[in-house]
Amino acid sequence: MSVVVTDLTYTYSRKTAYEKTALRGVNLRIETGEFVGIIGHTGSGKSTFIQHLNGLILPQSGSVQVLDIALTQKKCPKADLRRLRGSVGMVFQYPEYQLFAETVEKDVAFGPKNMGLSDDEVRSRTEEAIRLVGLDYDAIRAKAPFDLSGGQKRRVAIAGILAMRPQILVLDEPSAGLDPAGKEQILSLICKLKRECSPTVIVISHDIDEIVRVADRLVVFDRGGILYDEPMGSLFTHAAELRAAGLDIPRAVRIADALRERGVALEGDILHDGDLFAAILRRYQNAHGLPIDAEQAVERARALGIGRIAELAEDGV
Amino acid sequence: MAAIEVKQVVFSYGSEPDAPKALDGVDLSIEEGSFVALVGHNGSGKSTLAKLLNGLLLPTRGKVEIYGDDTADDAKIYRVRSNVGMVFQNPDNQMIASIVEDDIAFGPENLGIEREEIVRRVEWALDKVGMLEHRKGTPFKMSGGQKQRLAIAGVLAIKPRVIVFDESTAMLDPRGRAEVMQVAHELNRNEKITVIHITHYMDEALQADRVVVLDRGKILCDGTPHEVFAQAELLREAGLALPAVRQLAQCLADAGVPIRTDIVDEQELIEALCPLL
Repeated sequence: MSVVVTDLTYTYSRKTAYEKTALRGVNLRIETGEFVGIIGHTGSGKSTFIQHLNGLILPQSGSVQVLDIALTQKKCPKADLRRLRGSVGMVFQYPEYQLFAETVEKDVAFGPKNMGLSDDEVRSRTEEAIRLVGLDYDAIRAKAPFDLSGGQKRRVAIAGILAMRPQILVLDEPSAGLDPAGKEQILSLICKLKRECSPTVIVISHDIDEIVRVADRLVVFDRGGILYDEPMGSLFTHAAELRAAGLDIPRAVRIADALRERGVALEGDILHDGDLFAAILRRYQNAHGLPIDAEQAVERARALGIGRIAELAEDGV
Repeated sequence: MAAIEVKQVVFSYGSEPDAPKALDGVDLSIEEGSFVALVGHNGSGKSTLAKLLNGLLLPTRGKVEIYGDDTADDAKIYRVRSNVGMVFQNPDNQMIASIVEDDIAFGPENLGIEREEIVRRVEWALDKVGMLEHRKGTPFKMSGGQKQRLAIAGVLAIKPRVIVFDESTAMLDPRGRAEVMQVAHELNRNEKITVIHITHYMDEALQADRVVVLDRGKILCDGTPHEVFAQAELLREAGLALPAVRQLAQCLADAGVPIRTDIVDEQELIEALCPLL
């Protein structure tokens, strides 16, 4: 088990005129190996929630257990907090704003260095992390982070987290502010990291169309509580419920619903554009035949950003 | 009438002759009252172009004219700046006062406008962005969308004829984005303000009258959203994604489904699919 959160409540500026309850009795369990997508409007409590996962905020009431470390209202031992922060990699919004060192290598090495690792270990982890995010270690290590492009800076910032080899990776709006190609690359990178280094991944996003392409489970925060928590695959059966709560539903679900109302009921579970595309092709093929192989067409569409995230290209910088 | 004329503009951030060119021979004429989306990958020169439009940067070669005023002419720069307002990406960097009305008054105060007129303008500007009820509030406690609307009001109070939104929706959540886009369109429609909207969101570009695509410092294509997004190959080469619905239509057509490929919105797609399926 990676994370067990029980009855977690948190209020900012308690007992003042600015008192604001951000979390009200939240319960959530995340298993090792899950890929969880968290969605919610601004002010829904999602950022307050994730700050509990590495002890930046300690619970006011309720409890948070992360890996083997328990956080409660009581003071948490310093050694536990240190271990926790090494185990939970937190990539905040616009992480490139946190770059500070004069070279990429020094910046990425900051985390492992502070963990008290040997120089050799720090160096090898730094190199490994820079390569993991798809950057050329030898070409980039001595560069100033500020001379890099926006997408590269973000990769360097993520490498700084990966160098601590976290067991849980938490990313808050990892694709915000990037151009379409940069977005696609960051999402591919996260999927690759999930496979290759961090077993448990939690991603926060405002964009349901993005989450549906990467995560396996969807958690929706609303007014400090969890409104919805289901495997991604069952989303389409709950679409009406989500819509009623004023939440966005994926475009593909919306289009499939509209087609059904017009008497065109597509077959299969439709979650994202890739599913929609495949279902339309199947239906058209059954009625009229198709000049090309439908499965091939689906693969080609995937490479163009339709459907689940495609593998990161080798030169994906 | 042209509000903006960009003529043969070249711009380099370095002064040495072989410095890389952020803009490399841009010609662009923007009609008064139009709503133009400017798109391009990171580093394509969009923000450089934006900063040239009110003289924050001056062209290395070529000329930028705002209602006939050359931005490089010191005698005209004040008029250029009051004609072209800028709204930037990060709402937190654009607030200077702790009370909303003081913040909005900052621009007109600096222009030396008399007090009664400032009061009128502040009220008018806040009303236009739907923030009048927050006039005594403090910007720091507001949502991103509200802060960006205040930034717009601050610009409006100077009574510009052109507003440049430089990725002003990039840091906002979907609700905030929708608020800012609505205000931008209302100002364009009702106040006849010319809008240049720089964005990475293709669905926002679709709402413009005209889309200009920049790639490596040059204009790659320029036309109505339908015309521009019909050029799938060209856009992909420029590192841009097609709007999702347009991409879907393209993939269907490529697979042999006889569907139009200039479809850009959901309703259009649904209408086109029904008779085929």
